[in-house]
Amino acid sequence: MSEFVVSLVITLIKIGVLLGVALGLGAYLTWVERKLAGHIQARLGPTVVGPFGLLQPLADGLKLMTKESIIPKGADVPVYYLAIMMAVAPAILLFSVIPFGPEFRILGYEIKPIISDVNIGLLVVFAMGSLAVYGTIFSGWASNSKYAFIGSLRKAAVIIAYEVVLGFSVLGVILLAGTMSTTGIVEAQMERGVWFIFYQPVAFILYLFCMLAESGRVPFDIQEAEAELVTGYNVEYGGMRFGALPLAEWYLNTVALSAIAVVLFFGGWSGPNILGPISPYFWFLAKTFGLVFFVLWLHWTLPRFQAKDVTEIAWKIMLPLALANVLITAVVVYIFGGAG
Amino acid sequence: MEWVIFGVLAFWLLVSVLGAVLVKNPVHSILFFLSSVLAMAGLFLSLGAELLAGLQIIIYAVAIVVFYVLVITTIPWEKVKRFEGVYKKELLFGIPVVLVIFLLMGSMVLRGRFAQPVGVVEDNVREVGRTLFTSYLFPFEVASVILLVAMIGAILLGRKEE
Repeated sequence: MSEFVVSLVITLIKIGVLLGVALGLGAYLTWVERKLAGHIQARLGPTVVGPFGLLQPLADGLKLMTKESIIPKGADVPVYYLAIMMAVAPAILLFSVIPFGPEFRILGYEIKPIISDVNIGLLVVFAMGSLAVYGTIFSGWASNSKYAFIGSLRKAAVIIAYEVVLGFSVLGVILLAGTMSTTGIVEAQMERGVWFIFYQPVAFILYLFCMLAESGRVPFDIQEAEAELVTGYNVEYGGMRFGALPLAEWYLNTVALSAIAVVLFFGGWSGPNILGPISPYFWFLAKTFGLVFFVLWLHWTLPRFQAKDVTEIAWKIMLPLALANVLITAVVVYIFGGAG
Repeated sequence: MEWVIFGVLAFWLLVSVLGAVLVKNPVHSILFFLSSVLAMAGLFLSLGAELLAGLQIIIYAVAIVVFYVLVITTIPWEKVKRFEGVYKKELLFGIPVVLVIFLLMGSMVLRGRFAQPVGVVEDNVREVGRTLFTSYLFPFEVASVILLVAMIGAILLGRKEE
């Protein structure tokens, strides 16, 4: 019984730490994004609140929380509130299968820096990524507004299309590693001493596109096309309820999917030992935020696709490419013998 | 301890299934249905069938239910308002059927023996894959052909007439 209690306590601590870090990170990414966007567009970004505008996220949060809450007329109130939970919960649950580093020991207890090391880790990623579609659809529907609803339907079409491609693009990596556990995939890469991006470059490019589409980033952000739809599905939300939707979609999703990309293609926490015991964590976070930076960079430089092109690209170009990639990988693994 | 988890999940499942049947608003009904599918995935997970839980979420909770949701949310709301109450005639025919099925299942539970797991399954994914491609290869292939035919049919139907 005591062993059970200990593992429960450790898991609860892990969840608490991760929740705090993830939400704080999400808030501070808004500052990073605004600074970055400013410098890309030859502006300064936030400078007024605190040094370099570092307190800006706190000021934004305070503003959002003290705003008057307005619920649109004819809205379905329970669904209107539930939609926020349905958008935020999957984004946070994505973090539960990310391995941040190797196992270590404290006071004789083995601790894995991952909340649940299930052997279907990648399936959980797909499941949570696609469950996010409900937050979008229902927030658009419940607000009783045509702009919001068109935005949510567009987003639903995008998520359904790209979720399929995402699943097939990752199959190549699963074939190579011989497991679906995220920890297992990292270990497979460390055993061979090669990152899977060198074996699966096509898969990585497809994954990157799907990641952009799922987290509503340019060039696939047709659901929030400001010029046509105001901002799409979250237009009728106000205050912190509005803040939660982009927080989940733009920041938490982007960070979580980047971390999964690092696990799948960039060798997870592997890297030269330069900082002693914390060097795996350093490498993992450095790689993840390198990728997040790349996504933000794309967001503020590229134009967006037309609404009809986005789904066409997914079904007609990317899905056949992904299938071909799986087929070729399977044949190569069968002939040369990958993981057992 | 496992009983507590099972109890919570089973209660959640029953409440959401009842809600899906009894609620009038179709969107609330589909939400209850979604919640029941998630509870089912939780049950699979608590029984150690991890692959099944993952597939339950991906295929049922997302791929299938999302199309229900898309259809239901795009119904013009005046049509929904016009429909009031339950289907009385259907209920009249339905109750005897439900009763008979309930009695059958009850007697099965009381008389039969419960299946006992044979050995411990280490890797869900590997085991399911092995079973599918050895013992059940023929049904598996037939199912994939049926799905292929359905897909071609859907493409034909969805094609624009020139």
